[in-house]
Amino acid sequence: MGTLRYILRRLFFCACLVVGVSLILFALINAIGNPIEILLAERPGMTDEIVAEISRYYGLDGSVTDRYLTWAGAMLQGDFGTSIIYNQPVGGMLVTFGLETLKIQVPGILIALLASVGASVLAATRQYSRVDFGVISAAMLGHSLPGFFVGILLILVFAYWLGILPSYGAYSTRSMLMDSEIIDGLWHMVLPVSMLAFFNTATLTLLLRASLVDTLRQDYITAARAAGLPERRVVLGHALRNAFIPVLTYLGILFGLMLGTAPVTETVFTWPGLGALYIMAIQQLDYPLIMGTTMVITVMLVAATLLTDIAYVLIDPRIRLG
Amino acid sequence: MPSIPVSASSPPLLRAEGLVVHFHTRDGVVRAVDGVDFEVGRGETLGIVGESGSGKTISSLALLRLVPPPARIEAGRVLFEGEDLLALPETAMTRVRGRRISMIFQNPATSLNPILSVGAQLSEILVWHGMATKREAPERIAELLRLVGLTDPAARLRQYPHELSGGMRQRVGIARALLCDPSLVLADEPTTALDVTIQAQILDLLAELRARLGMSMVLVTHDMGVVARMADRITVMYAGRVCESGSARTIFHSPQHPYTRALLDSMPRLDRSYRSGGRQLLPAIAGRPPGLLNPPAGCRFAARCPEATAECRRVLPVQVAVGPDHMVACLRRGSQGMAA
Repeated sequence: MGTLRYILRRLFFCACLVVGVSLILFALINAIGNPIEILLAERPGMTDEIVAEISRYYGLDGSVTDRYLTWAGAMLQGDFGTSIIYNQPVGGMLVTFGLETLKIQVPGILIALLASVGASVLAATRQYSRVDFGVISAAMLGHSLPGFFVGILLILVFAYWLGILPSYGAYSTRSMLMDSEIIDGLWHMVLPVSMLAFFNTATLTLLLRASLVDTLRQDYITAARAAGLPERRVVLGHALRNAFIPVLTYLGILFGLMLGTAPVTETVFTWPGLGALYIMAIQQLDYPLIMGTTMVITVMLVAATLLTDIAYVLIDPRIRLG
Repeated sequence: MPSIPVSASSPPLLRAEGLVVHFHTRDGVVRAVDGVDFEVGRGETLGIVGESGSGKTISSLALLRLVPPPARIEAGRVLFEGEDLLALPETAMTRVRGRRISMIFQNPATSLNPILSVGAQLSEILVWHGMATKREAPERIAELLRLVGLTDPAARLRQYPHELSGGMRQRVGIARALLCDPSLVLADEPTTALDVTIQAQILDLLAELRARLGMSMVLVTHDMGVVARMADRITVMYAGRVCESGSARTIFHSPQHPYTRALLDSMPRLDRSYRSGGRQLLPAIAGRPPGLLNPPAGCRFAARCPEATAECRRVLPVQVAVGPDHMVACLRRGSQGMAA
């Protein structure tokens, strides 16, 4: 059928995209330098023999093409290679650090989604009222403030002044809160999740409120009211679902770029996630780690875009794939 | 308070008295509907005629208390089956809307929810009003869709609005208005957005349904042809006020208000010749309706009226009976003035 063929075709193009990104990336990393040189700078006096040995050990001795093919071949079998700096399999590191990132990003987006729906409904149903202006102003402010600034502000207030929440890390190093790993973990999540939720709520609210205001003016909303449906049902059942359609794209990008947008938050809160790992890997020119991380980010974004398009079909019957 | 003679036989189904709707804009108060009275008898069709901006649509929305912000109903009474709808609590209103008074909209392309199937949006209303269970609803709706002339109703139930033609959508809109067997249907320009051939079909359908179901109708339109065909009684509105009202026969055969006369004269008629020496002679009313932000004192039509006197520009006329079931608001026809 049309839809299935469309999805298969899209999957093919997605695969091409991922291969293209990997090619460009491999070439670019290769162009910036060689990790062995960084090692040499840190430990001078290594003989050429040792350098050649290390190069061979890490597979850095062949031509660029050969190395790409080796890397891609291993990738296809699920082997991301070994990190040069950490000397650990990249695949395992991506999972460990990736989960830490998801731990703050997913709640950050979901909380923002709920909050923005609430704020948008509150504002759009009272257009041009004080509540509406309040919501718009707060959302504008939240959207305009740089994320790291909000993060630092949160640390200042809750960690430094009030001293009730930890300012960095995902776990306590000495004594865990209430001797429970879970409670301690959640306790550490509060500030980073707040920062992400704050920013996402602001942007989503701006989009959703505008869309909802527009939807509430539509004839079919008046018609639903004229049919006697209570206001709650008109707004939540009829208007919100329609208003959500244009917001879906942004939500897809938020989910897709979850790992890509992580570095700022994770730097502010010293969070042991993929974003922090990514920055470290780039600074140290850790080829396999940079490649692995970028591939994960790419695949997630491409997959999120595809899923968004499929979600459109589910939410809006006027849209057909194919 | 202008009084309307109550027909001796039975009280009207609906009577609007002194309806006032203002738009509160940044620039000031726009008097969109400024003291409007009309009534609809049982089984009767009232045509509300007027040009764009005359307040006819807002008046009909005001009956259901659905005027869009920044508009607000400022005064008046809407007596429907013995109760004042404007005094009812909002929860009681949701039991009037759709069930006892329903509405047909102008544009069928925008008045159906695009993301719900025909069956889903109609059954929601039916179930909400307790007229059927979720299980019974599809059958009831299919029956109604057949009544409004849609073929293969079972298939229509599963279709979405964008899969239907304009005429079919308007039939669905009509079916939606009939779901709960209301005693009054408000039709706001129900044929304006349709092709001419479809217009005729929809008008025929409305006439047939009215005869068959015995319901009353308020038909809001700018099209004199539609009113001539459908209405038993006519209310002519201009710039937020009623100029003239009466039986369709009286309005068409002996119009009294200068605006009504000009309106009827500006309708092309087959038994008249309008061309001479290549000049278009279909009469038009010179000028434009007044802005309603700061409406002029006196009769709203005075500036365009061929018969206007100095008094007309100063004094607002109140409706006066000039015949059986015939009211006119014109100083030159014996209306009293109202202190502005």
